[in-house]
Amino acid sequence: MNRRKFIQQSAMAAGAVLSASTANALPTQYAISILHTNDVHSRLDPFPMDGSRNQGLGGVAARSYLINQVRDEVEQVLLLDAGDIFQGTPYFNLYKGEPEIKAMSKMGYDAATMGNHDFDAGIDNFANQLQYANFPIVICNYDFSGTSMETKYKPYTIIQKGKQKIGILGVGIELAGLVPENLYGKTVYNDPIQAANETANLLKQQKCDLIICLSHLGDKYDDNKVSDEVLAKECYDIDLILGGHTHRFFDQPRKYKNKKGGDVLVNQVGWGGINLGRLDYIFSTDNRKNLSKAHTVIVSKKTSE
Amino acid sequence: MNDKISTFLLVQNIKMHSKSLLNILLIVTVGCSTVSKPISLSYATYKVAQQAKTDTALVNMLLPYSGDVSRMMKKVIGFSTTTMYKKQPESVLGNFMADCIKEMAEVKFQTKVDVGFMNQGGIRAEINKGNIALGNVYELMPFDNLVVLQRVKGDVLEKFIQRIAADGGWPISKNSSFVIQSKKAIEIYINGKPLDMNTIYTVANTDYIANGGSNADMLKGIPMQNSGYLLRDALVDYIENLTKQGKPVDGKIENRVRIINE
Repeated sequence: MNRRKFIQQSAMAAGAVLSASTANALPTQYAISILHTNDVHSRLDPFPMDGSRNQGLGGVAARSYLINQVRDEVEQVLLLDAGDIFQGTPYFNLYKGEPEIKAMSKMGYDAATMGNHDFDAGIDNFANQLQYANFPIVICNYDFSGTSMETKYKPYTIIQKGKQKIGILGVGIELAGLVPENLYGKTVYNDPIQAANETANLLKQQKCDLIICLSHLGDKYDDNKVSDEVLAKECYDIDLILGGHTHRFFDQPRKYKNKKGGDVLVNQVGWGGINLGRLDYIFSTDNRKNLSKAHTVIVSKKTSE
Repeated sequence: MNDKISTFLLVQNIKMHSKSLLNILLIVTVGCSTVSKPISLSYATYKVAQQAKTDTALVNMLLPYSGDVSRMMKKVIGFSTTTMYKKQPESVLGNFMADCIKEMAEVKFQTKVDVGFMNQGGIRAEINKGNIALGNVYELMPFDNLVVLQRVKGDVLEKFIQRIAADGGWPISKNSSFVIQSKKAIEIYINGKPLDMNTIYTVANTDYIANGGSNADMLKGIPMQNSGYLLRDALVDYIENLTKQGKPVDGKIENRVRIINE
């Protein structure tokens, strides 16, 4: 589908939604495509052709081609990763993450967060490999004071995409019990809900049109363990949670109501770079509405051309 | 709420300066019009497939690395005198892996381990007769499971072994054994002695199982000793140790786990 056709279709879909909810004229429409991965686990090459379920799938060269196709089609594209970039193929054992970070830089990732396995060769190694990164690592609930990561991460980043200001924050999983202590060192884990809410509020104050949380908490658990589901229900200003850790292949994004009664979407695309997620957002500018009021987001499957 | 606060502050400003009310009102209007909100979302998931075209820039970026990786994967680390398959209730391959977990855990944690287990589902390939290359170990254990220790009371260990029996039998380390009758484990021996419900055993497992994976719920929550030692690395170390001693990778069926009719 070419870009014009896409914008037409998007505008039509959004128009249908709006005409149902308001009798007023169409507000201005803007579109952004968010592409995302999680738990790629050093899968630079496709899975080997060994008769296994995933044979031939994944690989950065094929992923990059797909990303470029979307970029040819849509003007405003964001490319994000929710952590566990490292560990899982011999590449990692040999190079400790250098080609993984280089590949992400070449593909034009806009931001990523850290997963527990990104500590696998030690925190100093992760910090060192970031010399090859041209994108920020966002994480707001790890305190890296006094570690080699201290100056190499941000709690959030703001990216201007066309007319839209996109705020991107990150949250990481509790490391104690999951990652050997000598690997994460002095890293302090703080409550992800509180940190995410404080950070998202900052982004709201800075007039971000969309607030995305990259999360390595895991989608949900049977017990009370904090997860994307818990975060979605406990947050105020986050619009979208791109998750990881649990290697879950979502059929479609899950929708939750946040503390304000607004819609929060959660998505996750398995692992190993088998899938690339795509979420196309339509924005509206509507002066007449109270923007701080809880709002709904209509979710639909993208129709293939 | 923030909008209300800023409007309030602006009103205060107006009262204080009161010279360009029009300008301030204009700022308020412009400020509002630049904020938009997401109203709809359409989703798609792309399968990243090898048949698809590739970006040559990425292929070229990888080249210097991939050559080294494939050389590394071809490095011979040991040899096997027999082709070892995965099989239930007991297999030579499974015995080899369970022994590796127990023995390497003893080396790594510098402590005596009573019994080691390998989950049946975690055995992902076979070892062919002849040279064993590093790549074969990656196929056998592609997951990044860690070797961990837990101190498990006999009654809990019994429940774990019942779970294994219900699944048709998983590999267990040397000198430990049990019999499966009607999907139930009987005659359980740990380290040569009948299982005692009140003894605390030191048990080696993968972190996946120790965390309650594969329905091993009874192990979940029991504190774990974890040094970040990958099972794959344990297998490599185990095979290389054998090779250093001039020994092959082999084994036989020892009736560690057997099924009997009612």
